[in-house]
Amino acid sequence: MVVAEVQDLVKTYPSFALKDVSFGLESGRITGFIGRNGAGKTTTIKSMLNMIHPDGGTVQYFGEPFAGNEADIKKRIGYSTGTVSWYPRKKIREIVKIVKSFYDTWDEDAYQKYLSLFAIDDTKTPLELSDGMKVKVNLMLALAHKAEVLILDEPTSGLDPFSRNELLNLFTDLRNTGVTIFFSTHIISDIEKCADDIVYISKGSIVAALPKADFMQQFSLSGESLEDTMLRLEGEAIHA
Amino acid sequence: MRNILQKEMRLSASILSYLFIPFGLMFLLPGYPILCGPFFVTLGIFQSFQSAREANDIVFSALLPIAKKDIVKGKYLFVCLIEGCALLLMAVAVCLRMTMLSQSAVYRSNALMNANFFALGMACVIFGLFNLIFVGGFFQTAYKFGRPFVTFIIACFLVIFMAEALHHIPGLEKLNAFGTDEIVLQLLLLVAGMLIFLLTTVLSCRRACRQFEKIDL
Repeated sequence: MVVAEVQDLVKTYPSFALKDVSFGLESGRITGFIGRNGAGKTTTIKSMLNMIHPDGGTVQYFGEPFAGNEADIKKRIGYSTGTVSWYPRKKIREIVKIVKSFYDTWDEDAYQKYLSLFAIDDTKTPLELSDGMKVKVNLMLALAHKAEVLILDEPTSGLDPFSRNELLNLFTDLRNTGVTIFFSTHIISDIEKCADDIVYISKGSIVAALPKADFMQQFSLSGESLEDTMLRLEGEAIHA
Repeated sequence: MRNILQKEMRLSASILSYLFIPFGLMFLLPGYPILCGPFFVTLGIFQSFQSAREANDIVFSALLPIAKKDIVKGKYLFVCLIEGCALLLMAVAVCLRMTMLSQSAVYRSNALMNANFFALGMACVIFGLFNLIFVGGFFQTAYKFGRPFVTFIIACFLVIFMAEALHHIPGLEKLNAFGTDEIVLQLLLLVAGMLIFLLTTVLSCRRACRQFEKIDL
């Protein structure tokens, strides 16, 4: 079942444009959104969350258009980025107290469970947390309000290999509980490790949106790894 | 809307917004341009916008399960709450000066504007201008607030200067009435000030909601 669908998304800036971006997210699967820096990953994700006003196209979640159902849909999705922190000098506990008041689905037991699982000290401020911990705090918030779809912008960027591995294992565990995960990355090994589907974007256009196995079958040369395939495709795109 | 206001008060607000509310009591100062009181209150609110921007408050709010326009309404609600608290203190000061202190020599010999209902109405006008120029101006970009604040300062001090000067013009002395003198006129001017506040705030909020929808965060 498709839980999120992006259709013909267009956004034009003076020096960059998203061109007819379309793809869908299947329920209970991990979709890796890959592309080099500046390919349009963050613009696409922000458009999916109405943080960017697209010039054209539609975004649907659970069969409903995002426009007009924003508040209800946001209750069922979670977003995280490791690079931005909110209220850097407020205690996590204070932020959580406010956030939970917005969700009637808030599960305090789940919150306590993830707080302990991720070893988060909620008396700390975001300023005192590493990028990896910030991602975990955002994930904890999303999971405590029982988000069905997680949209994660570069969650593994800036993480050490151990934290990255830990996070990718967590994605797999969450996927096994039925959560749909869509995460952007420019690190190909992240996709190789845990993604079921691949959405590949280059210069603002979607090159492919396929299950990983189909992607490899369509684009890989014999014996080529995903990393080699991606590097070759990007190389060809530059010289095209 | 209650939880949005709570978020504004507990996460986004600078402590200075609350600490500057008592500047409303400047309405008790004799020999001082009392309309500087509302200006200082707006200075406190400005600090909240500054600290909220540093804390990525707008992006955080955009991710909460609320419509984008509710972010704007929440900010206006918070601003109006602070302004309302300050107006309440000003009203207390005005009532004291119009009743118990109406014959006090320090106020009677005051060359500057008297704290009466007209002054309270002018405070409403200043807050209305703040909402129109500064808050509305901020939501043109949801990021830049320098120019809107400087524009507001100029408009605010023009209003203060005008309000201080008016009662010196022959025929307009009634604006500086003491006690319950000219009470009907005083009340009419207060109501006019409140209407200007309401009109500027509602119009500015509606325009800001429309503009904020188009902004890329």
